[in-house]
Amino acid sequence: MKKILIVATVVAALVSALSCSRFHNAPSNSTEARYVVISPIYNEIIWALGAQDQVVGIDLSTTYPPEVKNVQTVGYHRALSAEGILSLHPTAIIHDNNIGPPQVVQQLQQLNIPMKTFTAKNDSFDGTKALIREMGAYFHKEARAEELCNTMDSQKAASLEKVKQYTDHPRVAVIHFGRASNVYLVVGKGGGGDGGGVSQMIELAGGQMAVENRGMQRMESPEIIAQANPDVVLLTDYGYDRLGGSLEQIKALPGVATSNAAKDNRIYRIEENVLNYFGPRSGENIGKVAAIIHQK
Amino acid sequence: MLEADNISFRVGQKVLITDISVQFAPGKLHLIIGPNGAGKSTLIKVLARLLRPQNGKIEYERVDVQHATEADLAKRRAVLSQAIEVAFPLSVREVVMMGRYPHFGGRPARLDETIVDEVMSHFDVTEFSERNYQTLSGGERQRVNFARVLAQLWRDGLTACRYLFLDEPLTFLDIRHQIDFMKKVRSFAGAPDVVTVGVVHDLNLAARFADQIVLLNHGRVVATGTPGEVLTADRIREVFDVNPTFVRANGSGVHLIFD
Amino acid sequence: MTKQYGSRRTLLLALAILTLLVLAASIRYGAIDFSTAEISRALTSILPGHSEPTLDQRIFLELRLPRAILCLLVGASLGVGGTLMQALFRNPIVEPGLVGTSSGAAFGSALFFVLGGVLHMETSLWTLPFAACIGGIISTYLVFLLARSREDARASIVMLLLTGLAVNALFMSAIGFLSYIARDPQARSITFWSLGTLSGASWKAVEIVAITTIVGSIVALRYAKQLNALMIGEEEATYLGVNVNRLKWIILSVNVVIVAVATAFTGVISFVGLVVPHMLRMVGGADNRFLIIGSALTGATLLTLADLLARMVVRPAELPIGIVTSAVGVPVFIFLLRQRRYVF
Repeated sequence: MKKILIVATVVAALVSALSCSRFHNAPSNSTEARYVVISPIYNEIIWALGAQDQVVGIDLSTTYPPEVKNVQTVGYHRALSAEGILSLHPTAIIHDNNIGPPQVVQQLQQLNIPMKTFTAKNDSFDGTKALIREMGAYFHKEARAEELCNTMDSQKAASLEKVKQYTDHPRVAVIHFGRASNVYLVVGKGGGGDGGGVSQMIELAGGQMAVENRGMQRMESPEIIAQANPDVVLLTDYGYDRLGGSLEQIKALPGVATSNAAKDNRIYRIEENVLNYFGPRSGENIGKVAAIIHQK
Repeated sequence: MLEADNISFRVGQKVLITDISVQFAPGKLHLIIGPNGAGKSTLIKVLARLLRPQNGKIEYERVDVQHATEADLAKRRAVLSQAIEVAFPLSVREVVMMGRYPHFGGRPARLDETIVDEVMSHFDVTEFSERNYQTLSGGERQRVNFARVLAQLWRDGLTACRYLFLDEPLTFLDIRHQIDFMKKVRSFAGAPDVVTVGVVHDLNLAARFADQIVLLNHGRVVATGTPGEVLTADRIREVFDVNPTFVRANGSGVHLIFD
Repeated sequence: MTKQYGSRRTLLLALAILTLLVLAASIRYGAIDFSTAEISRALTSILPGHSEPTLDQRIFLELRLPRAILCLLVGASLGVGGTLMQALFRNPIVEPGLVGTSSGAAFGSALFFVLGGVLHMETSLWTLPFAACIGGIISTYLVFLLARSREDARASIVMLLLTGLAVNALFMSAIGFLSYIARDPQARSITFWSLGTLSGASWKAVEIVAITTIVGSIVALRYAKQLNALMIGEEEATYLGVNVNRLKWIILSVNVVIVAVATAFTGVISFVGLVVPHMLRMVGGADNRFLIIGSALTGATLLTLADLLARMVVRPAELPIGIVTSAVGVPVFIFLLRQRRYVF
């Protein structure tokens, strides 16, 4: 009996404590646009366009630019909660068709919440410019959108000039850590979807993709990297930091140890948002990637 | 009356007991003895219908027991085993009350509670009533189990004959408790509507307490009869491979000493 | 007699009240806090003659309320599942999550999503829970058969936990494989299956889980006395008139069904079935009638508290509920392992 009373007291205390840290719900009768944006690239572009004041919620994977941390996060894009998103009283939810779980998507549709996905995709340089223009139109920042596209073009031209200076065409293997599946992945040549931007960026930067297969695959077999025998191995930031940046541990990944890259210690870290997908900074990113892969 | 008629039981190819025919009369204490592997435990389990013999039949008062339901049998037949391992903390009273389970549906009636009170008092375990069974000693546990079994077999005016089986119940008891126990069993076994059959290892206890002894070896009955008839020097030597000396002590009958 | 039954009854009553309190808290608080006035307005808005519910009211009626109720039901299923499993295996360290039931059910559900997409099957409301049951049945019986109890009850518990570990690993990696090859977004959502969440709650789910939980618990209660008898051993239970084999099949089936169906809608939630019966036994003893009712109430309460925590701690984001239950459950599991008398 005493135990039950203790538990009841704890529960009552917990409940009252929680109600004290009350989340201040925004007034729902405001006429301003309030967007919950669940996509790292969309958010990057919104910030670049200067339209970020209208963003009230972002997803966990959005990390660029650094200012995004001032905005409330609604969680991991595949593990959302309808109530959580709706507590921010959005006028629309903007996403790139990569949200889950499906039941939550259904719930949002059921409640007639406006959801928007842009048609253009950032799977190529030009696709990205189209996306920027489309988003510019949506957010009424057309002029800024044009500026961004022009900057992209001029930066790309500058980067390609720099790339011409390098005489070598290193074979590059890119290793990415897939957080959803909690494994290391090898990024292959071509193919859309995750990592589609990688091979294009590498090639623009004057390298070649060492691994032929399409898309991303798990690193179960050491043969994937061993056969490819890359000159350079790039690890995206999360995967690199996860091993503490230790070259020993990276070389311990399947197939890496025997490669030329391991022998010459040409194993480098690269930010995911520089390499993996196209965005407003891709013009100058080409130069960054080139600088990394061509270093000896 | 309990009759076993030409029983045999095997597991796979291995024959554990064979050609066993014995009668167990009510009002007497029958003890089955024999060396390890003789088939004593198997026989008891077959008699109690835990196991079904491949050949032969068991009759409780001339009725073949094969077709009786578990629920029905549980009202008149109880088994006291070596020691029961209780996985969770149960009070002594709860354990004893389980003896009444065959007799009530959902909740115990007034009568069941009274019976439990009585048997606990008879075995001096009333003071343990709310104690956790797991904390009791071997001797205390056996008293509790005996109480449970007696509660199960409590005379209800409906059943003609009740059956009590004891499957090596003395194993974890010290000498004093063994003797105590056997005395209580004897007194219970004397009732005219009870058939009591038990398995023991100790030949002295068997000699002292049994009305009828069934001697088993290699799965067969070697001899049945009173202790005097069955426990001869030759037989003991042949079956148990030890050399007995008979000692007569005043007042407490014959004792056996082995070398 | 009356002393012990009386105090248990009081305990159950207190638990029921606690469950209602926690339910009230769960309805009120979350990413959005609803005041009592708002709640009653939302409830009355569905009556004829009232205006259409606002978005907030719809959130309450279509998201919050079914979620709170599903939480109670799933918590009750897991609690009862734990009690039944412990009674069946006569050991306090087993629960549906540890012996493969939950992961098998999750696999059945994930497979349903994959095949459903591929085969374009006609499905009814009940096909998903049915698939979960098949998965749960296969995994549980696999563990049960491999760890068949021998005379020495202790040794088989080691076998049981190890086999459960292996079978869990098998089915979770099977789910991983499915998430790798499947196009269906649900099957690919491995965190959903492995960590569990109540965020997908809907009235449909409530309907189905309510039926299985309530019916299953009532059936289990009917066998409570026989499960008690089982506590002193299988042989002894037979002598007391229990058909042990039949009891095992029935209880195992009930167990699998109630847990599998709950898992189909929420993913794998572990440790509730382990912690709840243990807590109850400490305060009210081991009688199964008491335990079944008590663990339904306690499981409902604990899971609702866990869900409340999962929704409040990082709001408006949510923690997967499996993280919260593991945070509590794992220390309890280790504590139980270290208790001499339960161990190997």
